[in-house]
Amino acid sequence: MFKWEKLGKIFDPTEFKNIPWMHEFAQAPSCLIFDDFVRVYFSCRPKPDATGQYVSRCAYIDLSRGNLFRILRVSPKPILELGELGTFDEFGTYPVSVIRDGKDVHAYYGGWTRCESVPFNVAIGYAVSKDGGETFKKIGTGPILSYSPDEPFILSGPKVRRYGNTWYLWYIAGRSWKIANGKPEPIYKIRMASSMDGINWTKLHKDIIPDRLGEDEAQASPDVIFARGKYHMFFCYRQASDFRRNKDRSYRIGYAFSDDLMNWTRDDLLVGIDVSENGWDSEMLAYPHVLELDGTVYLLYLGNQVGRYGFGAARLDGVLA
Amino acid sequence: MIWEKMGKIFDPTEHQLFNDCREYAQSPQALVFDDFVRIYFSTRKKDPGNGKFLSHISFVDMDKTFKNILQISTDTVIELGGLGCFDEHGIFPMNIVRHGDKIYAYTCGWNRKVSVSVDTSVGFAVSTDNGLTFKKLGDGPILTSSLHEPFLVGDPFVHCFEGRFHMWYIYGVHWNQYSAESAPDRIYKISHAVSEDGISWRRDSRQIIDDKFPNESQALPTIIRLADRYHLYFCYRQSFDFRNNRDRSYRIGYAYSTDLANWIRDDSNVGINVTEGDWDSNMLCYPHVFECDEDIYLLYNGNEFGRYGFGLARLRTTR
Repeated sequence: MFKWEKLGKIFDPTEFKNIPWMHEFAQAPSCLIFDDFVRVYFSCRPKPDATGQYVSRCAYIDLSRGNLFRILRVSPKPILELGELGTFDEFGTYPVSVIRDGKDVHAYYGGWTRCESVPFNVAIGYAVSKDGGETFKKIGTGPILSYSPDEPFILSGPKVRRYGNTWYLWYIAGRSWKIANGKPEPIYKIRMASSMDGINWTKLHKDIIPDRLGEDEAQASPDVIFARGKYHMFFCYRQASDFRRNKDRSYRIGYAFSDDLMNWTRDDLLVGIDVSENGWDSEMLAYPHVLELDGTVYLLYLGNQVGRYGFGAARLDGVLA
Repeated sequence: MIWEKMGKIFDPTEHQLFNDCREYAQSPQALVFDDFVRIYFSTRKKDPGNGKFLSHISFVDMDKTFKNILQISTDTVIELGGLGCFDEHGIFPMNIVRHGDKIYAYTCGWNRKVSVSVDTSVGFAVSTDNGLTFKKLGDGPILTSSLHEPFLVGDPFVHCFEGRFHMWYIYGVHWNQYSAESAPDRIYKISHAVSEDGISWRRDSRQIIDDKFPNESQALPTIIRLADRYHLYFCYRQSFDFRNNRDRSYRIGYAYSTDLANWIRDDSNVGINVTEGDWDSNMLCYPHVFECDEDIYLLYNGNEFGRYGFGLARLRTTR
């Protein structure tokens, strides 16, 4: 079993006043390491509109490489524009995952639109930064990964990696909408696609992580890291309904490993981190992101209310193996 | 080329349709059998939830004079999609392709949205009972929004040429709100994709038919090969004030090609126009070209987008 030492909350967006596009939430952290700082991308939200509806924006904070609890700067504006009328990302960009490619930085993100019978739909968008990851430009108005017969809706939660010459995208795909307390709630599963150029993707067309809570388990945030000959995946999972405030049905972090990227063995008993007795992560743990920084492995994650009040970190005691 | 009009051949309001559908017989598409022709169309029922329409597929079997109705479908031909699926709120149109002993269907599925009225994607289904019923490949679409075709992928027309599947379809380029009081209206164009199996498609990702005027919307392509030339018919209109304004509503357009890649638009040779005082006096839309016993026919809708049915025309030949 991994042994994580919780370090506490790193960033709380509500402590930064007068940033209208970052009223609350700092969700789904994803890192880019620079020489002397670590840039953490996340998704945040302005105040909801008159009908209580949110949009999500993407932004970043820079943390001191020597001390992740020292915030050097907050991005001056969101890194991505919302889409134009009728496009897939008109109402949100959440979550985002970034990767370096030479001097460019590529971003893959969930783009949100609103529907009539269900509250939303999501497809995966793509944008490129030519300024070291400060701003990103979309190369088209549509998504780069969208629906197929076996993945009918909600393609979201992208995590991009490159191993050898191949690009990989782990993501989630909606399986069904279930009515719970009169409201549709989505079930989604972890999936994978690969690409030679980062633009044209081939789906594996397979659920890669077996369910633990039965077929209505929702899985999210498939975060993969390679260490010591093995691929490790940290993700989160929850029950289909009553998961927002019921501690026993909300998100926890799961773990799986693989030696070929396609066949994964799930073993949540190894994950080594759970909710705290009290405090900011006492109800849920969600949207994990693992990074290795100067010989130390860190886990960034969201706590209660899926990151409404920010994200925190834990440090691995030992190595990923 | 000149089309000789044979008049309206089917009016949905004169028949009892399944599912309590009362009006509309849109985008008629033919499947030719030895001694009859099955014509699929989209009809509409009111959504009990909110009074909006749901499009359902039905068919009518006609003899080859197209004067006599043999039967009208009394059962579900293809189910609409489940909650949140791309075809939850309608299938319109459905294109039919015979392939071996199976019949393939390419559907245009509708799903309602909030900031704009709708999105569409292309689905796939198969019939093993001569087209009476169709079973979908999955809950999701086979062709949908992509990087440069951001929404409203629909109106598929599939045909095999030289052992390869070709699809002509439309994709949205913009939603525009033309005045403060009006809902946003869409602009769409015609594109093309190829496939080896009819399921996985490789898109050209380009508009293949030149615009006739700025902000033209182009819809429902249909193709036939005669001698060594490919003929593409479609419909086109202005992108707002096109519903009731005769001068801005749908007309049928025409283009030809010798290589399926380069198309020359030539509406002056379409050979069909509106007829003053008749059922198709204000509008011509949703063309479907097919061959039956060596004659070439054109199915199409007239006024009000086919609310009161569809008609037929026959290509004048010099034989």
